[in-house]
Amino acid sequence: MTSRALPLPAPPLLKRFAPLAVGLGLAALALALPAGWREFPAAWNLGLRAPIDQLQSTIVANRETIPLFQYFFDPLSAFIDWGLRLAENLLLALPWPAALAFSTITGYLLGGPALAALSLIGPVIMGLFGLWEPSLQTLALMIVAVVLSVAIGLPLGVLSASSDRVDRVVRPILDGMQTMPTFVYLIPVVVFFGIARVPAVVATLVYAVPPMIRLTNLGLRQVSPPAIEAARAFGATRWQLLFQVQLPLALPAIMAGVNQTIMMALSMVVIAALIGAGGLGRQVLVSLQRLQVGQALEAGLAIVLLAIVLDRWSEGLSRLDFSDTAREPVKALAPRWVPARWESAWLTAALALRRLAAGPAHILGTLLGGRDLRRFAGVLNLALVVAALLLLDLLVHFGTFPSAWRWYWREPTDALVRWMRDNLFEIPVGGLLIGTGPVSDFIVIYMLNPLRTLFTEVLPWPVTVLGAAALGAWAGGWRLSAFAGLGVFAVGLLGMWPFAMDTLSQILVTMFFTVLAAVPLGIWSSQNDTVREVLRPILDFLQTIPSFVFLVPVIMLFNIGRVPGLIAAVLYAIAPGIKLTDLGIRAVAGEAVEAARAFGSTRGQMLAKVQVPMALPSILLGINQMIMMVLAMVVIAGMVGGAGLGLEAVNGLARSETGRGVEAGLAIVLLAVIMDRITQAWAARSQ
Amino acid sequence: MTVVPATEQRPTKIACRDVWKVFGRQPERVVERITPDQTSAQVLEQTGHVVAVRGVSFEVQPGETFVVMGLSGSGKSTLIRCMCRLTDPTRGEILVDGQDVLKLAEPALREVRRRKISMVFQNFGLFPHRRVIENVAYGLEVRGAPRAERLARAQQMIELVGLAGWEQHFPKQLSGGMQQRVGLARALAVDPEVILFDEPFSALDPLIRREMQDELLRLQADMHKTSVFITHDFAEALKLGDHIAIMRNGQFVQVGTPEELVLNPANDYVAAFTKDAPRAKVVSAAAVMLPCPPGFDPAGQPAARADAKLEDCLPMIAAHDGPVCVRDEAGALLGVLDRLSVMKALIV
Repeated sequence: MTSRALPLPAPPLLKRFAPLAVGLGLAALALALPAGWREFPAAWNLGLRAPIDQLQSTIVANRETIPLFQYFFDPLSAFIDWGLRLAENLLLALPWPAALAFSTITGYLLGGPALAALSLIGPVIMGLFGLWEPSLQTLALMIVAVVLSVAIGLPLGVLSASSDRVDRVVRPILDGMQTMPTFVYLIPVVVFFGIARVPAVVATLVYAVPPMIRLTNLGLRQVSPPAIEAARAFGATRWQLLFQVQLPLALPAIMAGVNQTIMMALSMVVIAALIGAGGLGRQVLVSLQRLQVGQALEAGLAIVLLAIVLDRWSEGLSRLDFSDTAREPVKALAPRWVPARWESAWLTAALALRRLAAGPAHILGTLLGGRDLRRFAGVLNLALVVAALLLLDLLVHFGTFPSAWRWYWREPTDALVRWMRDNLFEIPVGGLLIGTGPVSDFIVIYMLNPLRTLFTEVLPWPVTVLGAAALGAWAGGWRLSAFAGLGVFAVGLLGMWPFAMDTLSQILVTMFFTVLAAVPLGIWSSQNDTVREVLRPILDFLQTIPSFVFLVPVIMLFNIGRVPGLIAAVLYAIAPGIKLTDLGIRAVAGEAVEAARAFGSTRGQMLAKVQVPMALPSILLGINQMIMMVLAMVVIAGMVGGAGLGLEAVNGLARSETGRGVEAGLAIVLLAVIMDRITQAWAARSQ
Repeated sequence: MTVVPATEQRPTKIACRDVWKVFGRQPERVVERITPDQTSAQVLEQTGHVVAVRGVSFEVQPGETFVVMGLSGSGKSTLIRCMCRLTDPTRGEILVDGQDVLKLAEPALREVRRRKISMVFQNFGLFPHRRVIENVAYGLEVRGAPRAERLARAQQMIELVGLAGWEQHFPKQLSGGMQQRVGLARALAVDPEVILFDEPFSALDPLIRREMQDELLRLQADMHKTSVFITHDFAEALKLGDHIAIMRNGQFVQVGTPEELVLNPANDYVAAFTKDAPRAKVVSAAAVMLPCPPGFDPAGQPAARADAKLEDCLPMIAAHDGPVCVRDEAGALLGVLDRLSVMKALIV
């Protein structure tokens, strides 16, 4: 094996044949080792399970008397609960017309007419689905989680921007928090906070806070050095520098952090429902458990709508520019669709509307002694309209979204799913059976089972450990090699060997399909703008939709087992692969492409010889992302018969066998971190 | 700008003594070990440390403009950053009004930066999120001036640099030259005793650069701020400097008035710059005049002031066949200019 740490280049012949030699060596070892080495020795089990279970029962039994809980976790828990109740009560007390007006006007202020329409239609659809209250509950959870994330993330971001030492400590922790499958820290959270709404907030918080810290840090570090130097040269103190120069200039990055935090928090909605959060997540979960595809789809769509609206809002917030006091005047041209003879009427109306909109701000400004409040006109109008509707509510009592207005999608969806199950499961074509049933069987019989047999019954465990170490060495040198080998060994020590090998076989097959689909699609999309335009909304949809929602139709089509989890994971993970491949190829420097064209390359030659090789690091990064997402789906797949580590984790959580859950969780984290590091090193190597 | 005669005794405004700046892991240790015959390249090779400024000493008199001219990598920017301690020098003394800036603790240093020394930057260093007027008022804001007062002062400065009407714009809406006017106004707003200019006009295109140089000369004629000016443009140095230091590899190669440099370059390196210098604008009558020839009758002959530049004497010499008198301020006859000596002085 060659190592990057070696200063001298290895002889080329040795370098080329080293992987082959290592492969042959491992194969020989596999043959030489007796059958007893197939299974990881049970005697080496670390036995974490019993003490952890012990700890949990101690905590549960003595919660009131342990000082850590008495003085820290319980007050914290009470505080979060208070905040959550406050947000929920406020939102639910809002009469529905006021809520809709608030949403629509805010949308208009943040992104113009298009966003206003979206902000109106989104909540209306939630109401029509009969999901008004669950949506508001979820929104309350989001608000509390995001506010806490910002309150925690912003200072930590500032701290890690101001000190490289802090940054060095914080960064790997954030890496860990983000690579860890979300399920894993549900377990300790449940131990410390019990099962209810508060742990759901805490779990969401843990997942959502890293981007806030990261982007605050990044934004502050990217503030242009001349500005900082100038401030110092004029004698600014550290605080003056931070508040007058660094934070204002980092604001776009910080707002991007808020946006990311909201998105991450929303992606936790369903998982949080597992430990007691209400709202839309719970609706999805319950419908899923009852296999009510239509209702799960409705709740899933509501989550997606919420995600899209909040995403666009926070995006608009980061573009907001209060500096612009003089609003743009009414354009002297009406839009194209206005007929010519209506144009002057249109312009008059537009002007009148603008005057009207500026009115309250003008009046208030005059009352406050001639101050120019024009830049706050939008916010002021928003407040006025909502206040007016609140007053009206005193007379009319709007209450919650009218129950007479419903527009369910569940029946047609259920009918469609039934039809697909009846007609697509097996379709005889000539002498051959195709359809979801045979596909599923094929994947299980010819791919999943042989691979699982290979890992659990053919390969002795030392060969697997050494194989991981060899991969690590090839990708990133001896340090990574040691880490990968020891990591896999530790999975054995946790007593999770057979489960981990089962999961590994599933991950490999999933990755095979994901890469097979994502990379060609990404290349295609990079070459053809139409393809890209078609794919983009689909990919955005796949990325915002909660991962559970994929499972619903897939289960209906493929039945419970390993295959639906696999397909859901492919769907979930495919988006970043396509996007990063496309981005990587499009980012290849213009000069290189031009040079290749000048030498008369065909499009195919250009792709194969210039664009794909140059985009390789980006493509590999996409593969890395896909592996992480596939791993995040392991647990979810476990819930629908995926077996392996996922099932262990789910069982640990569901039966409150915490020790078992922790062991499975740790094994998942180990696999995740090893695969993450190896693919990242591989990407770095190819640069 | 007037050349301050060396004889006049005024307290020195800035004095740098043996200033060193070494970048690396253990600069203090390395700086002790460097021997005079070791080149900076050798130091880099042997210790991995970069010697940016190497034992520089100079003095700046009140009201004068001291130009440090050097090519990129000569250490000139590091030197000026040492003077207000944006970079801490490794060794040496930097006295401003006799007080060593390097010994100041953070609060005292801040006071010096707020009141005594201000700076104009190469890439302007404006705050993109603040309006022009807020940028100009920044120095006053950090030292706690009330809002009304600092805005009034900033307004004054904006008018002074010719940007009236642009107060409410953001820097990115202004052209490069206008942005640097903002930078200049910001430096002037705190009414500092010393202004440090770090290649302020390098990022501007030539026409705007000339305009800004004239602007600076105009302002300086009124205000007489003590200035240290960094540039890589020798013509700029000649135009603005009362004294010029040529810097190379972290050391001063030669320090002198523009005239001294042009007439007596210390070595080939300096000569390479002075070769293309507009000599007529730099060399004064006194430098090329000859003693009065025997029997010379000054009566009725045209006369030039001793400190007049040749450029201004040329029309007189061209129009008049005989020698031209050179007189000092009091009118005493010092010597004469003849065509031959003037031509020799102009063609190197």
